[in-house]
Amino acid sequence: MEQTIAKVLRCEDIAQDIFLLELSAPGIARSAAPGQFVHVAVPGAGANILRRPISLMGFDAGTGTLSMAIQVKGEGTKRLRALHPGDTVDVLGPIGRGFELRGARRAFFIGGGVGVAPVRGALDAFSGACACEAFFGYRGKAFAYGLDGLSCPVHVATDDGTLGEHGIITAPLLRALDAGAPDMMFACGPAPMLRAVQRIALERNIPCQLSLEERMGCGLGACLVCNCKVRAADGFDYRRVCVDGPVFDAGEVLFDD
Amino acid sequence: MIDLSLDLCGVHLKNPVIAASGTFGFGREYDQLYDISLLGGISVKGLTLKKRLGNPPHRVAETPSGMLNSVGLQNPGVDAFIEEDLPWLLQKDVAVIANMAGSTEEDYCRMAEKLSASGVHMLEMNISCPNVKEGGVAFGVRPESVYAITKAVRACAKKPLMVKLSPNVADIRENALAAQEGGADCISLINTLTGIAVDPRTRRMVLHNNVGGLSGPAVRPVALRMVWQAAQAVRIPVVGMGGIVTGEDAASFMLVGAQAVMVGTANFMDAYACPRIVRELEAYCAQQQVARAQELVGTVRVNG
Repeated sequence: MEQTIAKVLRCEDIAQDIFLLELSAPGIARSAAPGQFVHVAVPGAGANILRRPISLMGFDAGTGTLSMAIQVKGEGTKRLRALHPGDTVDVLGPIGRGFELRGARRAFFIGGGVGVAPVRGALDAFSGACACEAFFGYRGKAFAYGLDGLSCPVHVATDDGTLGEHGIITAPLLRALDAGAPDMMFACGPAPMLRAVQRIALERNIPCQLSLEERMGCGLGACLVCNCKVRAADGFDYRRVCVDGPVFDAGEVLFDD
Repeated sequence: MIDLSLDLCGVHLKNPVIAASGTFGFGREYDQLYDISLLGGISVKGLTLKKRLGNPPHRVAETPSGMLNSVGLQNPGVDAFIEEDLPWLLQKDVAVIANMAGSTEEDYCRMAEKLSASGVHMLEMNISCPNVKEGGVAFGVRPESVYAITKAVRACAKKPLMVKLSPNVADIRENALAAQEGGADCISLINTLTGIAVDPRTRRMVLHNNVGGLSGPAVRPVALRMVWQAAQAVRIPVVGMGGIVTGEDAASFMLVGAQAVMVGTANFMDAYACPRIVRELEAYCAQQQVARAQELVGTVRVNG
């Protein structure tokens, strides 16, 4: 892990409210793994003092580049969107426990919204080692990204039916599972989607890894602000999303109702 | 060559920069990035007698030039700290300050006894955690209770005792004096200012605990004023904190009377904040032609 000043290579919209940020950060790119994230300082000496945890959508040790898909949500991400090629940004990473293939021969990659980014990154990283099938959900066609260059079977669902099938992504997922379960599922997306995927994985006894998100402080595991609930012998315990995750086994995560 | 060292209540610090409790864990995470022996001291994550899970998420909210936190004293308990974390920390050439929080006088005394029997160099009694009912804040508001808890814990502690004061009080001078009269060897301030954050879109409180503690550059002017006032009220050393991000910020706290400073939220902004502040303070002293950093303490020119 390192904290470094990275150069911006690309910063451009790839969907509504979602932009691609590509950085040159050779040290981070060399040691990154699928599902890990970087902790990005908001550019400019402004009032946004906390770093933003951003999942890697791609990384290339050869070229030393990192790519991420970022949703414009508030002031911090707005300022990141305003970066231009040639600008610099302060990045800490790579951080966290990422997705692990664990010898799977066939895997499903399930993403929703901005959560498609780390799942697509894992798909690209693992596609040489296992048979892949993608299940990506979006609010609508305008919000879709991460579909280019996929050579595996892809299922798309949108909330408004403007792309793929109308409805939630678990519908095509369940049909595909009925046709034949994989030996690993990877998922990242909004909490309701993760909850549904978790339930499906546990009911059908399919190994599954979920990437969680939480507001963060240090990104190093020291400050304990990014907690999530996991099962424990005496009920529950907290884990740090930043370094104990962000990827957890579906069986250990406890979602609050 | 600038001399940054000091003697704080009999404990040697190679420089006046101490990592603030709750932002630095037990030091291991930051030691992955740099040798934590570069720092004067480390105040460890607040300890309680028994393990505490802390508050549910969300525990953090960014605010203008600051942040609110409501971790709620998640920690493994004082015994686990002494057995599992302290031996590693004591290999480092850095003063170890054990921060303790309790809900009863007996809790504080039992922790003070356990920690006094361990290798820690100093105790920091947190009577100001705003994030749990039993975080000691009940002891930290009224001067009479600050005096009483300090006196009781001083009698159980065999190590130097620092009392961490809450800023959420009527008159910081009275609480600083109460800690001194109770037998504190030094005081540290400020803990966080209580605040809340509201998400207008969801119409909900951001923090699960509703109320959190504000820290970061946003609180620095308030912290400086309180450190200035407290330092004038007491004879014992004062450790200042609140939004320190640069060496000049640290120097400002020393100028108003702090012998040492603590750096908290800045660690989140820049993982290398603490060692950078040490270097910047040294450069500041050189530029100001000050041979010993301690010469700065309390020398601010006040307008008549």
